[in-house]
Amino acid sequence: MTEALRRAAAEAWAFRTRVELEAARRFARLAGTVAAFDPDSPVPALLREAAQDERRHAALCAALTAAYGRTPPGETADALIAPQALDPRSAALYEMVAACCITETESVATLSTLLSEEAEPEVERVLREIARDEVAHGRMGWAHLAREAASGDVTFLSPLIPAMLSGTVGDGLFAPAGPDLESRELLRHGVLPHSQKRATFTGTLRGVVFPGLEKFGIDCGPARAWLSAREQS
Amino acid sequence: MLFRKLFQVLVVGGAVLGTGANSGCSTPASAQQPEKKGDGGAQASTQGTDAGTPDAGSGSGVQGW
Repeated sequence: MTEALRRAAAEAWAFRTRVELEAARRFARLAGTVAAFDPDSPVPALLREAAQDERRHAALCAALTAAYGRTPPGETADALIAPQALDPRSAALYEMVAACCITETESVATLSTLLSEEAEPEVERVLREIARDEVAHGRMGWAHLAREAASGDVTFLSPLIPAMLSGTVGDGLFAPAGPDLESRELLRHGVLPHSQKRATFTGTLRGVVFPGLEKFGIDCGPARAWLSAREQS
Repeated sequence: MLFRKLFQVLVVGGAVLGTGANSGCSTPASAQQPEKKGDGGAQASTQGTDAGTPDAGSGSGVQGW
């Protein structure tokens, strides 16, 4: 393994450690929020379980970060991402869609793609353990969206989806990357080459996320335009 | 094929989990009642919907894998 590849793998696993820690805090907070207005929902219990899962995932990612020679990141702040003008119930829906319907769904696709390739044994073990839980985490968001769509109007989310997407990936995903980040050797270390990462992201949006949101009456025209604009930039 | 499977497992499976509906994708209430929650509608009217950069305060997203 070259030094450049080792650095790329270490950076990826460090980044994942941070996002897993953030997810743990977010899910724990949202469990209380959702339970307050929808006490019959199965989602709060799933969120509490997911928060524990994410702590375990963070530890797994941190161990791989260290194995690739980098100090893992520590605790992070609980970032509130919903527009401040939204009422608490709408803000919770915004966060559930952003965190689960988009990000966790994308994570499942990424993990599935990685697991279709040959990986180092310890990397594969970690990927499999995390993938098993991420399916449940993705479902939580779609479950909550289904409940909210059945009881009220969720179409206000339509023009807000581009902001969610902008916060999910940087514009760098749509820019060319150097040969180190395009190396297929990265797959053995649990990292998608840059162009494959972009293809997985866009394919998941068009094949899963957008059709899913549209099933519940959310117009994805703005989101599709956001994606097309970045692909053409 | 992957995306079709993910749609079934995550979207349809999640909807069934949340509502207990057989299809998981029944007609959303938004098709029946026009009211909006919060002021999301007002937000919508002030934000670009043409793939532009979100305004400040328009929310953000969650980074993942």
